[in-house]
Amino acid sequence: MSVTSMRRKLPLAGAVLTAFALTLTACSSGSGSAAVPGESSDSGSGSETSAVFENAPVADDELILPGSTMEAIKERGTLVVAEALDAPLLSQQDPTNPDSVTGFDADLAKLLAIYILGEPNVEIVPPASETREALLANGTVDVVFNTYTITEERAEQVSFAGPYFSSGLAVAVKSDNDDIKGIDDLGGKTVIVGANTPAVTAVPEEQPTATLVDFATDPQAVQALIQGRGDAYVQDYTLLASNAAANDQLKVVGQPFTSEPYGIGLKHDDAEFKEFINTWLLKIQEGGQWGEAWKASLGTVVESDIPTPPAIGSVPGS
Amino acid sequence: MDILIENFGPLLEALGTTLMMAVVAGIGSLILGVLVTVARVSPIPILRAAAFGYVQFFINVPLLALLILAVFALPDAGLILPLTPTAIIVLIVYEAAYVAEAVRSGVNTVGVGQIEASRAIGLSLGQSLRYVVIPQAMRAVVQPLGNVMIALAMNTALAAAVGVVELTSRVNKVNLVYAQPIEIFTGAGLVYMAIALAIGLGTGWVERKVAIVR
Repeated sequence: MSVTSMRRKLPLAGAVLTAFALTLTACSSGSGSAAVPGESSDSGSGSETSAVFENAPVADDELILPGSTMEAIKERGTLVVAEALDAPLLSQQDPTNPDSVTGFDADLAKLLAIYILGEPNVEIVPPASETREALLANGTVDVVFNTYTITEERAEQVSFAGPYFSSGLAVAVKSDNDDIKGIDDLGGKTVIVGANTPAVTAVPEEQPTATLVDFATDPQAVQALIQGRGDAYVQDYTLLASNAAANDQLKVVGQPFTSEPYGIGLKHDDAEFKEFINTWLLKIQEGGQWGEAWKASLGTVVESDIPTPPAIGSVPGS
Repeated sequence: MDILIENFGPLLEALGTTLMMAVVAGIGSLILGVLVTVARVSPIPILRAAAFGYVQFFINVPLLALLILAVFALPDAGLILPLTPTAIIVLIVYEAAYVAEAVRSGVNTVGVGQIEASRAIGLSLGQSLRYVVIPQAMRAVVQPLGNVMIALAMNTALAAAVGVVELTSRVNKVNLVYAQPIEIFTGAGLVYMAIALAIGLGTGWVERKVAIVR
């Protein structure tokens, strides 16, 4: 893989990671103003990877409300998280060391575990994206960290903390294809999408004449594009960027054409837990751990400064 | 229930694809399976060995692995087919192995004396298979074949993993929008159950018609 060619292909990184201004002062009226052990205002600007977990905030005992989900998790001693094991840069299991799962989502899940338990005790349940709502509803998992786009339909079934990240769908084509420059050129073309991704509904909205072919996993979709089963592959920008970084038969073209706010999926109507997690999100944003997690994962393939996280509660459904 | 009604058209179309795959692959696998059985009981050693190898290979490799191989490895070998025909062909060759095993057990129910008698009255091998052995073998294995056909109908759902828009794939898409997996997948499950029941009842009816009372 060639980092320099990646950089040439992806000059748009800053635009992707849609920036929203954070109104930090507005949130300090809640429980966030309590002094938190281990958190200091000038920490988190270190450059090494371990900085992600260095000085990670831990919740005060008074935040773990009696009878709440947080208390149940603390008593159990592990945070049960639905997260992928096959998403490079987001949540990827090391094949030679199954205990090691790294990426942006994975690091945030560990940070949340530290916040509740004091240590990064995470039990991962790999979610099929079609069963995330059921996993939350029946209590199999506590939270979902799974590039889970916040939508109003989904918000009727589950609650979303965050958004904690904002990305968007983009178009990838074979490196030797110069005809397709973005979503506008996909009319009448065969477009490969991942099954159960937002692309399934977003592509027909933009290009009703495009024919969709969907594959169960991202590697299958990439393989199908390279073998010529479709003219283009529409997928989340971050995923395409990491694919293009690893495979020079693939390139990302044009700007992302949607905005996908990722939320942390929670059991429906658990307002205490949602507030608790939103408070935590603010703390890791202020403390710098959010930025370090980004830099250690997505930041390695995207040429950009650490983006400003989206404002919590800024999206319908969150 | 509202969701299933709102998306009735697309779901019905996808159900059509599922049924089409099941019927085409069902007929194909019955024909291929009987041919494999004939090879397996033939007096030619190399045919017998080939049929044995065929059955063992397809019974011992998971269908999903075969589908992924056919869809992603064959194009690398220079052979690229549209997705739905690829999936149907894989279903045919896979289920034919199970059909062949079922029919072979039926062949074993045909008395050795009958085969000897058919040769004694001057029937060729092909004729004795066609007029004596296979008809009786098929009648004896209606129920096992029905079970293979039910498995085949359920197995069409795996084609969703390689991009064929059949019932499971469409249901996944609907769920993606509405995010109500329990309602949506229960609905789809009931449809699959209805397909299995229909095959089962049909099998029972055929069996009563053709059963050989011994």
